Parts: sequence; structure tokens; C-alpha cells
Amino acid sequence: MNFWEKITGSDMTKEMKSFEARVKNLPADYQAAWVEINGYLWPHSDFTGRNLIPILDGVLGLLEETSADGQSVQEVLGDDIRGFCSALAGEEGAKSFRDKWRQQLNHNIAKKLGK
Amino acid sequence: MENLTEMLKGVLEGCVLDIISRNETYGYEITRRLNALGFTDVVEGTVYTILIRLEKNKLVEITKKPSDMGPPRKFFAINDAGREELRKFWEKWDFVSSKMNELKEKTL
Amino acid sequence: MGIKDLIEGKREWRAHVARVKTLPNDYQIVYRELQKYLFKVGPVELTEGTGLLSGIVELFEEGAASGKGVLEVTGRDVAAFCDELIKDSRTYADIYQEAIDSKSKK
Repeated sequence: MNFWEKITGSDMTKEMKSFEARVKNLPADYQAAWVEINGYLWPHSDFTGRNLIPILDGVLGLLEETSADGQSVQEVLGDDIRGFCSALAGEEGAKSFRDKWRQQLNHNIAKKLGK
Repeated sequence: MENLTEMLKGVLEGCVLDIISRNETYGYEITRRLNALGFTDVVEGTVYTILIRLEKNKLVEITKKPSDMGPPRKFFAINDAGREELRKFWEKWDFVSSKMNELKEKTL
Repeated sequence: MGIKDLIEGKREWRAHVARVKTLPNDYQIVYRELQKYLFKVGPVELTEGTGLLSGIVELFEEGAASGKGVLEVTGRDVAAFCDELIKDSRTYADIYQEAIDSKSKK
């Protein structure tokens, strides 16, 4: 079953439609990242997509908030979107990815506070 | 004393609960008490994360009160479940500390 | 309530953002970075309203009002502060893995 079959004819359609509407408001590089993230998460395992909704909702929230902040999508997700997705999905390497986010957080703060 | 963070991790929650059990109080006040006690490394943020957990585990009752400085403050008071948790905490602590002393004194 | 409702034009979120902007600059910097981190890790509390985030803002407001620097409030390791905050929370990763587990049991 592919992505589109999964989302049509199910109660997720409404949510996916509202996602789409939100995605349209994102800058182009963010939209591209969104497509890539979906492409990775959806076919990746075969469970009902309903469980994916909160994750996608969170990712979209992150994209909306950071794009409004004027940051580039690379700054937010890094170069490795695949890695980002496996971290989201709690797979192998998730721990090291979260460590990277942690370091990034402290590093950015130190840099921006000028210390 | 400094650099106690790791060692304090397991007991800080009990410390905070004990302070709350004496008097209804709020986060910044709890931090000041801990600092005055000698735990100088403890920051408000750490106490805040503990308070969130106490709240989540329903060990405290919360009242919001206006403050003369900054936003309204959340005041924390211990409840029955909290008192029971605190009793267990001191029991565990007494066990650990007596065993630690035993270990220190004893020739194995 | 989803993050969508949290962010998208909802009054509560706008009020929250406006509140962040009244913080001193160093507090704002730290707040924005830690919010970004929390959005990535995705504790479920984020989908339940602004509670988690506005709690942090309250903590910061009181810290600022008492004249402290932001790192005096959070400690130097802001990531550790965040992790403590969401220690018991389920995250996106947990939800995803649970879904896969329940699928493979069938």
C-alpha cells in the first residue's frame, strides 16, 4: 500500500488536507524538506498512518515556527534529513542524533549570548 | 559545595518535598533555601523541573498567588500522598546513609 | 489539540509569543533555542496546549524580575535542563516505536 492509498478513504484525510494547506504557506526550501520527510516516514513501516499524525504535526509545527523566525531549513534540520527522520522515529542512531541536538542547543546559546 | 550535581540527582526531589512539607512555598524560595543549606550549585531551573514532576505525580497542591515582582507565583503545599512519599524517602535515605557509614568505618 | 492549534493563529499562541518578547534579550535567546530543541524531540505535552512552554516563560519572567541572568536560572547546560523537564514524557520517537511494536505483534 502506498502513501496516497493509505491516506485516502480513511479518517486521516481531513488531517492530511489541513497539513497540505499549512505546507503551502512555507518557504520553498521548507516545502522540499517536508516532502522528503514524508517520503521517508511513510513507506518506512506499514502501520496505520494515524500514529504518524502527531509526529507530522510536530514536524510541521517546527517548520512553521522556525521559518517564521527567518532561519534556513538547513539550520534547523541539518544536512541529513534521513538521519533527522530516524531520530524522530526513535530508530537506530536516534540517540546520537539527540546528542547532536543537545550540543547544538548549548552551542547556539553560548554563541548567541556571546560567551 | 560544588560539583555535586550527579550525586544529588537521586535525593534532590526528596529535599524539595521536605522543604515544601514545612511551609507552603514557591520555586525561587526553595532554591534559595537549598543554596543557603550549602547546595550552591542548585539553580531555579533544576528546582522547577522537580516541581513539575511533583505536580505530575500529584504529591503537592498548587495555589497561584499574585507576586509583587514578576508574574503570579505558583505556591506548593504537600498533600497526603506527598507526605507518604516523603516518609519513604527518609526511610530510604536512612538506610543508604547508615550503610554508607558502615562501609566507610568497616574493614572489609 | 495539536501543535497546529498551538501555533496557527490561535489567540493563546499569539499571546504566548508576545509574552516571550517582553523578556530580556538573553532570556529570549535561550527560550527560542530551547523551544526549537523541544519541537524536535517532541514531548507529547507540546500537543496538549502551551502549558509546558508557558511554564518556562513564567520561570524566566520571575528570574528576570529578580535580576538574574538566564544561565543562572537554567544552569549552563540548557539541554540538561530541557531533558529533565521532559524526562517522563513520551516523545514522537516513543509513539512511533509503540506503533511499530503493536503492528508487529499482530
